[in-house]
Amino acid sequence: MTAWQAIFMGLLQGATELFPVSSLGHAVILPALLHWSYRQSDPTFVPFLTLLHLGTAGALLILYGRDWAGIIRGFFRAALRGRIAAPEERLAMLLLVATVPAGAVGLLLEAPLKQLFATPRAAAAFLVVNGLILLGAEVLRRRSERSGVSRQEQEEQFKVAEQISFRAAAITGAAQALALLPGISRSGVTMTGGLLAGLRHQEAARFSFLLATPVITGAGVLEVPQLFHSAAPLGLYAAAAVVAGVAAYLSARFLIRYFRSGRLDPYGWYCLAAGIVALLLLR
Amino acid sequence: MLALVALAVVFAVLAVLYLLAVINFFSTTTGSPHVKHAAVLGVLAIASLVGASFLRPRASSSLN
Repeated sequence: MTAWQAIFMGLLQGATELFPVSSLGHAVILPALLHWSYRQSDPTFVPFLTLLHLGTAGALLILYGRDWAGIIRGFFRAALRGRIAAPEERLAMLLLVATVPAGAVGLLLEAPLKQLFATPRAAAAFLVVNGLILLGAEVLRRRSERSGVSRQEQEEQFKVAEQISFRAAAITGAAQALALLPGISRSGVTMTGGLLAGLRHQEAARFSFLLATPVITGAGVLEVPQLFHSAAPLGLYAAAAVVAGVAAYLSARFLIRYFRSGRLDPYGWYCLAAGIVALLLLR
Repeated sequence: MLALVALAVVFAVLAVLYLLAVINFFSTTTGSPHVKHAAVLGVLAIASLVGASFLRPRASSSLN
């Protein structure tokens, strides 16, 4: 992998990770379309992507640092007391319930699904599926919205993250396992889960970003050591991770503002179109 | 509550066994420590303990 390719991959991963368009799918499809010579089945490819994810996780920790401080405090308070007495304590337990199944399922399915990383056509097909999931979520959402009022008023009838049920949090978290498939977006499926659980768009994005942080950080911390046992250019990869972090920070700021009144539709149509075009070009 | 504590102990023991490479169920390699499996089992052990803490006998709860 050349320096420009690594930096481009960092920019691509950071920019697409938090958008519901599957960063992993793009990271698998685009190099194949551009006929880049490095092999995605190379043992350092997945750890490299994981390092880029760590850059994204760093951006999320900076953006939601205050939230995380409250969540961690809330976790210990509620766990020791054995009772939930404040919204941040409830949010901490919701995140725990949502994260544990995803982690366990991810561990069991990781090895067979990793084989799919080297098949850009599979990633393109899953990108189409991702588009259909996003569009389907908005179709269902519109059915439960009031008509004849502004978008802001429509959103206000829905909940904030701290108010969803533990069952909904568990289902949303379990849906993250789908994101092991390249082309299926983690933020897309968790935002879809959040919307179906009755969250506002902005809160579904916030819950998705909070949910992503421990999973991405955990996966990164466990995968990155593989890089040290290979001949990978670590300085270059670290620079790409910083680029990914900056791009992710800017993406998150944009999305939080966008989802005040915006919907998933544009991203759904984009995934549908990009997946179909990629399938045609990768024949 | 006691069942969850017992489950937490089982998860913790399994985590240690994975870390020591004594067992290798659901893993692709043998003979080396399985840090990821150990980490997930460790988290499951903590989650079980939290669950047990929530099931302690008490008078009332507010936001549960």
